[in-house]
Amino acid sequence: MSFQFIIYFNLALFLLGVFGILYSKDIVSLFISYQFIIISAAVNFLSFSKLLYKYSMWGVIFIIFGVVSIYFLMFCIIYYIYMKLDPLQKRVFYRNFRLFKITRSDWWGEDNL
Amino acid sequence: MNFLIYISEKINPLQSIIVLSASVLISSFFAVSGRKAFKKFIIVITFISLISAFYLNIYSFISAGNFSSSLLTFGTLQVIEVSMILFSTLNLLLFIAIYEIDCNHFIKILMLLLFSAICAIFVVVAGNFILFFTSLTLFVLTIFQLAASLNLNISKSRPHILGYFLRPVLTVILFFFGFSLFYGAAEFKSMDQILNSESISNPLIALGLIIFGIAMYLYFFLFPFQNPYLGMVKRSRFSSNAVIWFLYFPVGFFIFLKFGDLYNYYIGKSSIYMSITFMVIAFVCMLAGNIGAITTGSIRRILSFLFLFFTGIFLLNLSMFSAGIISSVSTKWINMANILLIMLSFIPISSVFNEVEKNTGSDSINGLAGFGRSNIFIVINLIILFLSWLMPALYILPLMRSRMVSSGAVALNIILMAIIAIVIIFLTVNIFRVIIQFFKRSPGGTVQKIRFPRFFYIYITFFTLIILAVSVLCLLEISGISTGTGSFKITDFNL
Repeated sequence: MSFQFIIYFNLALFLLGVFGILYSKDIVSLFISYQFIIISAAVNFLSFSKLLYKYSMWGVIFIIFGVVSIYFLMFCIIYYIYMKLDPLQKRVFYRNFRLFKITRSDWWGEDNL
Repeated sequence: MNFLIYISEKINPLQSIIVLSASVLISSFFAVSGRKAFKKFIIVITFISLISAFYLNIYSFISAGNFSSSLLTFGTLQVIEVSMILFSTLNLLLFIAIYEIDCNHFIKILMLLLFSAICAIFVVVAGNFILFFTSLTLFVLTIFQLAASLNLNISKSRPHILGYFLRPVLTVILFFFGFSLFYGAAEFKSMDQILNSESISNPLIALGLIIFGIAMYLYFFLFPFQNPYLGMVKRSRFSSNAVIWFLYFPVGFFIFLKFGDLYNYYIGKSSIYMSITFMVIAFVCMLAGNIGAITTGSIRRILSFLFLFFTGIFLLNLSMFSAGIISSVSTKWINMANILLIMLSFIPISSVFNEVEKNTGSDSINGLAGFGRSNIFIVINLIILFLSWLMPALYILPLMRSRMVSSGAVALNIILMAIIAIVIIFLTVNIFRVIIQFFKRSPGGTVQKIRFPRFFYIYITFFTLIILAVSVLCLLEISGISTGTGSFKITDFNL
């Protein structure tokens, strides 16, 4: 497998993740999009380590620490959703949630409760 | 004694972290206790540990000087930043101790506060990318846990807390991706390696920096992505908002400063279009913050919007640096001054407004009517603190004596002056809107005096005096007038 192919494949994964984050309307898709970017970064580390730096361990160690800490953070957030949100709030997150929601009240007037 | 000195040398520069960790360890024995006596005991322990950590942080630097290893970097900038974090945590301890002492999880909340302070210190002193990244992730995690624990009983705030923290998660993931690009450039493991390398102009580094820039923009909830931030601040408890304002955001500023040298390298070599881009983004962020504050009647939202305005000032500094008006060192100093201004002014102002909200039962600006007549001492302090927000007007000075006038790019200079003038006018309107409200007659006619605890007067006065002293010293120094403090000059420090 050529280095160029890996880079293009990786770019595609990253862009897929970004597109998913911008387009997704539920929290599950959002987390899947996050995974795409994480995988893309991990493939970057591994490919650079193998093809450029002769199996340098630094990239592998970074992946272990990085992935463990990020997944720990995401686990806590998912746990919070399951434990603390009531069914109505959960439904909003599953069916009608956007990470980059822009409303008029964000910069003008009041935020009605 | 020699043994203690030996231990101190071995753990340098982590003395402050060890003291805080010891306090967490002691607290863990009482974590499930609901007794008030234990809660008070833990408050005292936490307070002592924070004061000791503050002292040890400065003492270790004075006694051992700069420290640099493959894992940690500890210089003047780091000492100042760690001191700010500890000072901020001390204030948060005060707020949590006052407002949350009846909570069943009080001791656990204090432990989480110390954990987040420890993670924040690690973020600041981290010398290599793995330690930095792991500390940042754990810091976001502890802040999330802290905010969630402080709002356990407020059901309506939960979706907003969740919406808020999904954004820093994306920031962390983008950082992970950015570091993979840095690694690809030339197996870089720390910021110093990049700065001293010939591969600094590698396109992967530039791409990584763009990713970091986007990640930081999302971290700060800058315009137009402020929805979750405003939603959470509006619905959460005050102590939770204080954690966001005085721990989450300052650490973001410090991360920004950490990448400052690398950004400065690229920005210094960039074209005029880069300067214009930064100017437009800075202007939009600051103007949107001000307009948002003017059009709302909620005190919480006013403070949140103005916080975003001050965050936009960092972008203004970048644009001034990219235009060649201020030097790299001045950029660092102005950024640091901005962080100090934010912390020293927002802490007392938000605490007073929270007390007013508690007494009036509403966070409407109309609740402030007559406050200036009934609590004159507090209001005088508040007015001084509000007026300190006009300090960014001093940006006009370097613009006036800029080298750019002689180099021919006068238009850029004039645009920057216009931007600063417009945002300062809007900020002044915001400030005087609140001040006028203090002296308005209340709709009911009679104004009830809000009774603040006695220590509150000392607390507010302390901040006001610091702001006054620093303002006077800085103004004298900028004007070139001797302050009579010997050869000491604030701007002589090399960050």
